[in-house]
Amino acid sequence: MSGLVKVKRSNWFYFRSTIFYLFLLFLYGPIAVMTVLSFQGETGGLTFPMRGASLHWFADVFNPSYIGDFRWPWGRSVILALIIMVLTMVISFLAGLAFRKGFRGNVVFFYLVVASLIAPSILISLGIGRMFTSLDMQSAWWSGALGAHLTWTLPFGVLIMLAIFSRFDPRTEEAARDLGATTWQTLKSVIIPITLPGLVGVALFGFTLSYDEFARTSQVSGEHNTLPLELVSVTGTASTPSLYAIGTMTTIFSLLVIGLSFVTLYVIQRRRAGGA
Amino acid sequence: MTQLTDRLQRYSTALQMTPLGIALLLFLIGPIIVILITSFYKFNGFLTIPDVTVKNYVKLFTSGLTLDNYLETIRIAAIVWIVTAVLGFIIAYYLVFDVISLRAKMLLFLLCVVPFWTSGVIRMIAWIPFLGKEGVINRVFMSIGIKDEPLEFLLFSEFAVILSYVHVFTLFMVAPLFNTMARIDPSLIEAARDNGAKGWQILLHVIIPLCKPGIAIGTIFVLSLTLSDFTAVRLLSGANVGTVALSISNQIGSYNFAYSSANSLFLLIVLLLIVGGIMRLVDVRKQL
Amino acid sequence: MTESKDIKSKTVTRRSMLKGTAAAAAGIGAASAIGGFPTVWAQDLKDITIRQLGLAVSNMDPFAKMATDALGFTIEQTATDLGTVGNRGITQPKSFDLLEPAYMQFKFVWPTGNFQPVDINRLTHWDKVSGIYKESGKGWDDAWLGDGQRPHSVMYVDGSGSDFKTPGSTELVAAMPILHNADTIGIRPDEIGRPINSWGELLNDEFNGKTALVGFPAIGGMDAAMALEALGKVSYQDKGNMTQAEIDETFKHLIEYKKKGHFRALWTTFNESVNLMLSGEVVIQSMWSPAVTAVRAKGIPCVYQDCKEGYRSWSLALMIPNHVEGKKLDATYDYLNWYLSGPAGAFFARQGYYVVTPDNTQKELPAAEWDFWYGGKEATVEIRDPFGNLMEKPGAVRDGGSYKNRMGRVAVWNSVMAENEYLTEKWNEFVAS
Repeated sequence: MSGLVKVKRSNWFYFRSTIFYLFLLFLYGPIAVMTVLSFQGETGGLTFPMRGASLHWFADVFNPSYIGDFRWPWGRSVILALIIMVLTMVISFLAGLAFRKGFRGNVVFFYLVVASLIAPSILISLGIGRMFTSLDMQSAWWSGALGAHLTWTLPFGVLIMLAIFSRFDPRTEEAARDLGATTWQTLKSVIIPITLPGLVGVALFGFTLSYDEFARTSQVSGEHNTLPLELVSVTGTASTPSLYAIGTMTTIFSLLVIGLSFVTLYVIQRRRAGGA
Repeated sequence: MTQLTDRLQRYSTALQMTPLGIALLLFLIGPIIVILITSFYKFNGFLTIPDVTVKNYVKLFTSGLTLDNYLETIRIAAIVWIVTAVLGFIIAYYLVFDVISLRAKMLLFLLCVVPFWTSGVIRMIAWIPFLGKEGVINRVFMSIGIKDEPLEFLLFSEFAVILSYVHVFTLFMVAPLFNTMARIDPSLIEAARDNGAKGWQILLHVIIPLCKPGIAIGTIFVLSLTLSDFTAVRLLSGANVGTVALSISNQIGSYNFAYSSANSLFLLIVLLLIVGGIMRLVDVRKQL
Repeated sequence: MTESKDIKSKTVTRRSMLKGTAAAAAGIGAASAIGGFPTVWAQDLKDITIRQLGLAVSNMDPFAKMATDALGFTIEQTATDLGTVGNRGITQPKSFDLLEPAYMQFKFVWPTGNFQPVDINRLTHWDKVSGIYKESGKGWDDAWLGDGQRPHSVMYVDGSGSDFKTPGSTELVAAMPILHNADTIGIRPDEIGRPINSWGELLNDEFNGKTALVGFPAIGGMDAAMALEALGKVSYQDKGNMTQAEIDETFKHLIEYKKKGHFRALWTTFNESVNLMLSGEVVIQSMWSPAVTAVRAKGIPCVYQDCKEGYRSWSLALMIPNHVEGKKLDATYDYLNWYLSGPAGAFFARQGYYVVTPDNTQKELPAAEWDFWYGGKEATVEIRDPFGNLMEKPGAVRDGGSYKNRMGRVAVWNSVMAENEYLTEKWNEFVAS
């Protein structure tokens, strides 16, 4: 890496650092407030001041006393996000392989993917909902909402795979084939390992975009709510700081998920480096 | 076996595209067709009736409200776009060029990403105890003595909505910019410097042009997110802001599926035109 | 994975056991009083689950438990917002077994043909149901009739068609009424410091920048109409069914007020209204009664102000979708009958709502509590909510006074007007102005 910028610590450098750290502060401010308020005392509310401190609202999530049972919606959201994650990985990977070779109509597909990315969430939600109704079918979180989430995660997945494959030197693959590897062997031993970091990225994107999705799910979740829907519906009623407690817990949960995926990535890279 | 492999290979492209094709057909094209049909239905004030009428479109294009909504939405989107682009550029620049150690780069980037994993809904609500009349900011301001009266524009205002958008969407600008900047060959910058270019000249004539695809992708993300959001507007504007998506959501709320279909289809067309324009300017696909 | 339950009773606490036993006794009493149709044996019903979808005010774990214990089959309740209740009724009628819409939504929900009428001959407590839902439309003779869409006007149906018949003219109803209450304005007496007794104060310049309206066009429009009429600025033929000219006039004034910065916010969620009041952002606004309770629970004085112009009332009902049939339908009627039999009335009275059979509620509620909640008298005992939390100390008087003072002085019923589309459009202009 060039030492060029390191040497010149101009005023602009300090300006950029300041902006960056202020941005971090800005990013974490609301989350810090949420975390603090989730330890609100038993009589406290959703805003400051704190009325004592307690773990009451965390207990409330697991043993809901009044309204807002988050446990099932949370479970549903995690399961849905996992399914979306796997589907997004597989579908994007396959599409990436095809796009790479090029085929007739690839431009149409590319624009469809972009359209899926920019389509207003409310249009997708209303459209899928009405589609189910007109087919006299019942939309549920694992059917209609699953589809709605795919329209949101697939564009990210496909675009990332396109980026990964565009940096993938086709000669590597040719070399493998010249050495007598079959298509399957090439796929297994060359393509997948090289694109793996990208695939992990797709997985992370797929999981989080689905886990956090509200607008596209709003008309199609059917009988049971996902977590974001439950959160919004609870904000419409007499909600308590257990709302923040669930926020704090889901953040910790998300951190564990990311941590785990990075450890996986690290182990894979180590193993690969060791094997080389 | 070889025959099978050959045949598979011949059809492999089609097979590989099939899952994506099915997903897009079922959940993108299908719904758009349903919405297109519904947009010609009649609404009798209470029920949406299968009937063919262009009344919804006539109303859409003659109502002054449509124009007001679009002007407001575009104004908000423009502000959010400028703020996220400038902020995103500075942050990406800092991460790519100012931070040297790869590990530090990764760590700082992760720090930017982590909040993304907290529920977006909760992140929006969490602004309320911050910005309210008796919120954190006003208390600080009043205790330092900057202000005697609490600032009211902070919450339940356009400001609160824009703040929340910048908060949630800046990352969508940082990521693609980071990606393109990281691919800029440092020797190019060095060469420019050797030829006597000043810092701002390098920025203007080397770095920014090379970042165009990143800016384009980030812009597509930010604009489509801003234009179709109604949650933040609902939670933070105190219904003082009228955007297109909020109007559509309100129309669905009063069960007028016909008019909301026409309205959301028009929003899709506007978005397609904007993004199509961006993609004409910058070949996004080549730069991926 | 679909068997996941949002609110389902599995564990039975001691308290709910005690309550449950009492309720079960009442339930059995009710069941045995039923004549003219076969009562289904309890063991056949054991495996039945009735999935109810309604508002958070009336769909909650403790209540579902109480009903389940009393009935011997499972009542599962899911809470959501009113808009979603209507939307699900229109678009996904199979996703629940019992829907709890408000009367103001009936014109949207009933004509979809997704629901079957309720046979009043199968309702054992029909004679105890308030007159509001019968021919007269009034609870008692000197009660006000109220503007707008009175519940009885969108209730009676016949077996065919989707239009509503003359009140009392048929034996079938679109839904069985369960709850009603009267809304007014909430104020911060400590901040205002003088008596308030009119809706007109909502638009008093004294409170410029410190007021809020409910952000739903139909209801916000009526609250504004109550205030404008009180000030003599606009007069209405029927506040619950305005003409285009009246709507124009109303919004001309509202936009003027908004331009002056009169409204701090137009709230759409319960919490917003609570936070606005708690934080002092506003001192007078449209409010729902549990929101007033929530503000007071935080130690901030808040009054649900009784005004001389009367109240804006609402009512909820239970609607049965077409797919419910056979034993499940029988069980549903058992639940409907239990709902009106008294224990539910006592439960909701302690939340400040009225079940539509006040006589049965009185039987289940200790006299001291009845006097406080219905009589409007000074509390002589500690008043607790259904969860055992202390609400009021002895000596307190309920805001708005007695049941008769509230439900007897209904100025307007929550309504969706014939000109609803026009009103919504004007409302959106008001928001965008």
